[in-house]
Amino acid sequence: MAEEKKPDAAPPKPPGPPAPPPPKNPGFVTAIVDGKEVVVKPGTTVIEAAKAVGIDIPYYCYHKRLSIAANCRMCLVEMSNAPGGKLMPACQMPVAEGVTVKTDTPRVKDQQRATLEFLLLNHPVDCSICDQAGECKLQDYYMAYDRQPSRLDVPKVMKGKRVELGPTVTLDQERCILCTRCVRFMREVAENPQLGVAQRGNESFITTFPGQPLDDKYAGNVVDICPVGALTSTDFRFRGRVWFMSSARSICTGCARGCNTFLDYLNDVTYRYRPRENDAVNEEWMCDDGRTSYKYLNAGRVLVAREGRGANAQPLPRKVAPRRAAEVLLPHVAAGSLAVLLSPVASLEDLLVACKVAKEGLKVAEVYAGGRADGWQDDFLKRADENPNRKGLELAAAAYGLAVRPFADLVAAAGAGKVKALWAVGTEVPDAKAAEKLGALEVVAQSYGDTALAQHATVLLPASPHSEMDGTFVNFEGRAQRFEMAYFPKGESRPHWALAAELGAALGLPLAFASGREVFAALGPQLGAALGDFAWDSLASTGKRLGIVPLAAGTVDGRLPGNRDRVPSETTEDYRRAMSRTS
Amino acid sequence: MPYQLENRPPDLRESMYFPEIIRGIGTITKHFLKNLFFSRDANPDILARKRGGFGHSDNVTLQYPEERAPYAPAYRGLHRLVPREDGKPRCVACYMCATICPAQCIYIEAAEYPDDPVEKYPAKFVIDELRCIVCGFCVEACPKDAIRMDSGEHTPPSYERSAQIWDEKRLLRGPPVSYQYDPWLRRGSPSIPPDKLEEMRARAKPFPTVATDEASQTPGFSVRALAAEARDRAQAARK
Repeated sequence: MAEEKKPDAAPPKPPGPPAPPPPKNPGFVTAIVDGKEVVVKPGTTVIEAAKAVGIDIPYYCYHKRLSIAANCRMCLVEMSNAPGGKLMPACQMPVAEGVTVKTDTPRVKDQQRATLEFLLLNHPVDCSICDQAGECKLQDYYMAYDRQPSRLDVPKVMKGKRVELGPTVTLDQERCILCTRCVRFMREVAENPQLGVAQRGNESFITTFPGQPLDDKYAGNVVDICPVGALTSTDFRFRGRVWFMSSARSICTGCARGCNTFLDYLNDVTYRYRPRENDAVNEEWMCDDGRTSYKYLNAGRVLVAREGRGANAQPLPRKVAPRRAAEVLLPHVAAGSLAVLLSPVASLEDLLVACKVAKEGLKVAEVYAGGRADGWQDDFLKRADENPNRKGLELAAAAYGLAVRPFADLVAAAGAGKVKALWAVGTEVPDAKAAEKLGALEVVAQSYGDTALAQHATVLLPASPHSEMDGTFVNFEGRAQRFEMAYFPKGESRPHWALAAELGAALGLPLAFASGREVFAALGPQLGAALGDFAWDSLASTGKRLGIVPLAAGTVDGRLPGNRDRVPSETTEDYRRAMSRTS
Repeated sequence: MPYQLENRPPDLRESMYFPEIIRGIGTITKHFLKNLFFSRDANPDILARKRGGFGHSDNVTLQYPEERAPYAPAYRGLHRLVPREDGKPRCVACYMCATICPAQCIYIEAAEYPDDPVEKYPAKFVIDELRCIVCGFCVEACPKDAIRMDSGEHTPPSYERSAQIWDEKRLLRGPPVSYQYDPWLRRGSPSIPPDKLEEMRARAKPFPTVATDEASQTPGFSVRALAAEARDRAQAARK
């Protein structure tokens, strides 16, 4: 007893875990995932490490730009250092030195099937009315990992079916799998925690605070990050099925930020914008105003040239229209009473040709900058300047030695009688009432839509917006970004650069371009080094691609690879042909 | 199958001619009498008239169009949009039929109900019956049993092509159908009175997982029943 009470020596320390092996690659962590060796930075999660060697671990709640919740349990894998040999969430566990990860053992497969069975237990399976059908991770993973009928033989839990969370987002609480991506997005990225989870167990649902709508300006992003059909866009709701849509890589024209987007279209109609990943510009978010800014591409378009105003308006054949425009403008060129209004909504190619024609054909020394009026601004994405290409306008004007003056000066000059004729490339003006004052002028306008200024045009030429051409926008930082043509120009409309070149040809300039690429090749050097190392072919353009181009979902949400991911453009036949032409 | 003709000289009986002629007349008479009094076709469903027995011909000739043979249950007739009991279409405008249609003859525009348990419905559902190749893929693809080709009718002829373009108003017809887990039964619908809803719930069957004749056809549809009805009509007309 005494000996037990007073041990003469401290007991030997129990053997602890073995000392970690020395790192195989110093400064990095080396592990084995499914037999493949992977070397990553310390702190990298298993899911990212596996992705690096081409092994896909399924997940719902994980999002690389949000905090880790590890609540969907879809990414559980076998790890050699797991306590008690349990399955570990790959999205949460950092890779440790010498660890062996297995993602395709029967245990993991069973776990994935069981998880999906639970997730689908109370899911209404109303894919037929769900807008997410076709880009839904529940559908994809069911086909990849589950494929078993439901064993539930009692009625499913019923929740809110059509909850209008706010002006842009509609929630279906039954479809929700409670991954809380939206909650984390609102808290961490939008920094406006308007969403939360209420109730407990299988009764829990996503909701806002009572009486408070989800009215954040970035709320639309929760629709994109929702892996299932719970959060749907009120604007896009029931308007089309995503598997019919094709997708073009484009730039949002809502503000000067130039968020990278996918422009989803079908039958020459643009249905929606979705953010495209670009860490330097918008990460993978965009604001709600930008999302709904596509509408001018579809509605209220001018599709035939016309001459005369109001009741005297009559359509003008397209071949004749540029000559007619030149006839209207030429007397004022000699008299020096001509002004040129450029819109910063037009692309860089448009403005380069327009500046060349203005300088060399119309002999003006200054141009006026139109564009939409300023809007709201915040410190995240949205800029007050709601024009995508004001920087490009300044660069193009500077390239031709033209001074850029604000729109108000044009109104003043017109009021003073110094300006008697106007050539407007784009009819977006900050002040629609001031546009009325320009009604006394001879106006040759190139316009997307029938705006206030377009209605005062003596000669109106139909122009194609960015969905119908290949071109470039320069955002407020001076970053030139390419966008690609989604569909051919509608009706008789043509891009601004084509119309301006035709006008220039009618004025006697040797201008003829076949494509936006040719425009940039011919006139881009005028810009000097203003665009840095921008290369027009940086966005490998394939022009109009016939048939349905599969939606490129992979970059936005990390959905399953396969036919839903765009084939990397470098590997396409089109790209190789384009490259062989250029080099 | 061609006759096997043996390459041999005629025997004594054949070379006498008359016994063979009489045998031939016998064969013809046998078939004449059989066709006059007995059917060649053992299918009992092909005729709606009184058949068999002495004095009733079993001949299969139909006096079309006064008499019509009922089609088999799998016959793909004119499309119909299946209604619910409250008269709205079962269709939820999921575009499955339009997606699978090889002739691309289905045009759909979706819209939203303000107060129905099923939010989505087809504001426009148009089938160009001239383009339709009657393959029945739309029926196979439909996840809601909302389009069927069980009407047993041909597309009626018309003098204008435009009359062959059937919109949702013309397509929505026939007996209504509801299943156990249909949302309007599960959640109730403002357009169905509560007592009617209770009755519908009690009567509802599970959604058919296997397309059997009984499940995939209009309730009560039966070739035999149709034949019996036609027989009754014919008897009534005779009296």
